[in-house]
Amino acid sequence: MTRTYTPWFLLAVALALAAIYLFPLYWMYITSLKGGSEMFANPPTFWPRDPNPGVYGEVWARRTMPVYLWNSVLIASGVTAITVVLGTGCAYVLARYRNVWVDVGLFCVLMLQVLPASVMVTPLFVGFNQVGLLNYPRTAVVLAAAAKAMPFFVVLVRATFMSVPRELEEAALVDGNSRVGAFFSIVLPLARNGILVCAILTFMSAFGEYIYSKSIIQSPSLQPASVGLSGFLGPNSSDWSSIMAYSAIYVTPILAAFVILQRRIVSGLTSGALK
Amino acid sequence: MLKALSSLRDGVGFDILLVGAALVFLMALAGAPLIYNVLMSFQQVDMFTLGSLIRPFAGFDNYVAVVQQPEFWLVTRNTLIFVFGSMAGQFVLGFALALFFAQKFPGSATIRGLFLVSWVMPGLVVGAIWSWILAGDFGVLNVILRALGIIDANIFWKSDPAFSIWAVIIANIWLGLAFNMLLLSVGLAAIPRDLYEAAELDGANAFQRFWTITLPMMRSTIGAVLSLGLIGTLQQFDLFPALTEGGPANTSNVAGYWSWQLSFQLYDFAKGATVSVMMFLLVLFASVVYVRSTRHEVRG
Repeated sequence: MTRTYTPWFLLAVALALAAIYLFPLYWMYITSLKGGSEMFANPPTFWPRDPNPGVYGEVWARRTMPVYLWNSVLIASGVTAITVVLGTGCAYVLARYRNVWVDVGLFCVLMLQVLPASVMVTPLFVGFNQVGLLNYPRTAVVLAAAAKAMPFFVVLVRATFMSVPRELEEAALVDGNSRVGAFFSIVLPLARNGILVCAILTFMSAFGEYIYSKSIIQSPSLQPASVGLSGFLGPNSSDWSSIMAYSAIYVTPILAAFVILQRRIVSGLTSGALK
Repeated sequence: MLKALSSLRDGVGFDILLVGAALVFLMALAGAPLIYNVLMSFQQVDMFTLGSLIRPFAGFDNYVAVVQQPEFWLVTRNTLIFVFGSMAGQFVLGFALALFFAQKFPGSATIRGLFLVSWVMPGLVVGAIWSWILAGDFGVLNVILRALGIIDANIFWKSDPAFSIWAVIIANIWLGLAFNMLLLSVGLAAIPRDLYEAAELDGANAFQRFWTITLPMMRSTIGAVLSLGLIGTLQQFDLFPALTEGGPANTSNVAGYWSWQLSFQLYDFAKGATVSVMMFLLVLFASVVYVRSTRHEVRG
């Protein structure tokens, strides 16, 4: 708001702030490339003297990362599918009307989101045990995590639907479309971008799902990458270059996707969803 | 029958179907567990009766037992420190960044977007990275703080009882800062520019403009950010197993993690449920605030 600074000065400050903020990510990649003695050098080196990219291949094989990552992809896809299919319709109805029932519905949806996962995990565990779902632990985790992700999705997509002009839908109804027809041929295409952005975000957060998988899935061959990582973490962990290499392999795809889609995600959120 | 079918295609039935499917799903997988938890907190539960609904009634015994646990007050204190420390850090820094990126300069939107990568990072990975940064002997944070002359001796962030909760708070602030910034940026962008111009003509300085225009205009956004922050912080789980596991001696344990420990490490499901019900009351308060703040939203 003050106009005494030049834009270029502000740009420099912004880059410095971003560098400070993103330092942990830089440190993850750098640490993963350091060898044994350099790892614990004091003072630490901010650029590896002798980069050792071999650790990536070693961690990939030794920690059976392909299995873990595949499970993460499966779980995240399942969560996203359920959330999008059930959540989109719900968001649409909650956006279309404003009355007491919508307030009640919205309140329910929000209340059900605010339960911490650590609270829900015991009853879900017992419930899944009763209906035999524990024999299909990944499916169980998908269901549990979808229930966790859906409220946030509904809130965001509801805002997207609110920005779709109602007149267009009414015109379609006057032209003889049914409600179903108008929904699929007019409203959904107009809200497509917002839904897509929210679906991507849902996928990204489900990709890091941890507590349900940790509590419900026993067999290592069905666990996602987050549980695989927790296997060699803890207050006394020491194999830091492997941990960082594992982390890097785990998050680089999400980070790359995010950076590529960044503009669309941010503009999708700021133009509609977070108003 | 035919009428009901056509209402499904053309009338209220369509709306009810869409909302109903989602609500039934949520009720089954989120509502029922909540009720079950409340129920369980009033019952005697052991490994053998875990699967059955009908169990001996325990009244408030579980609540009394939880409060009498030696670590109860420590965990309560930690939870409050964790919640308020994290929220204060996320909000103040997020607001400062949002104000900064509201200035016009080349690349501001792109650089602001880069901050959001922390938002999509898995919590466990964030915990792992900070665990290494905060390590007492070889952690880079100690090295930087020493080089800047802020501290003389290494701080053992994760194992010193005085600092362990702050280790988790630092990681949590980093994790949640970007989302706060984004929400606040959106709120800032919605304030009409001419208000500031008018105030500037009237001779208001930057601080007065912030105090009399920015803050009042953003009241509902701030309410939403703070209540979402409270909810998000109480839900935080992933950082604890990665950083301190609640230790040393529960000095970094909070209600959410403690509840999970009671259930899944000590198999004392009744106490775990009791702690979670206590926590839920706090969360309930936050969501009432949030729903009230959406009441004033504008239709686009």
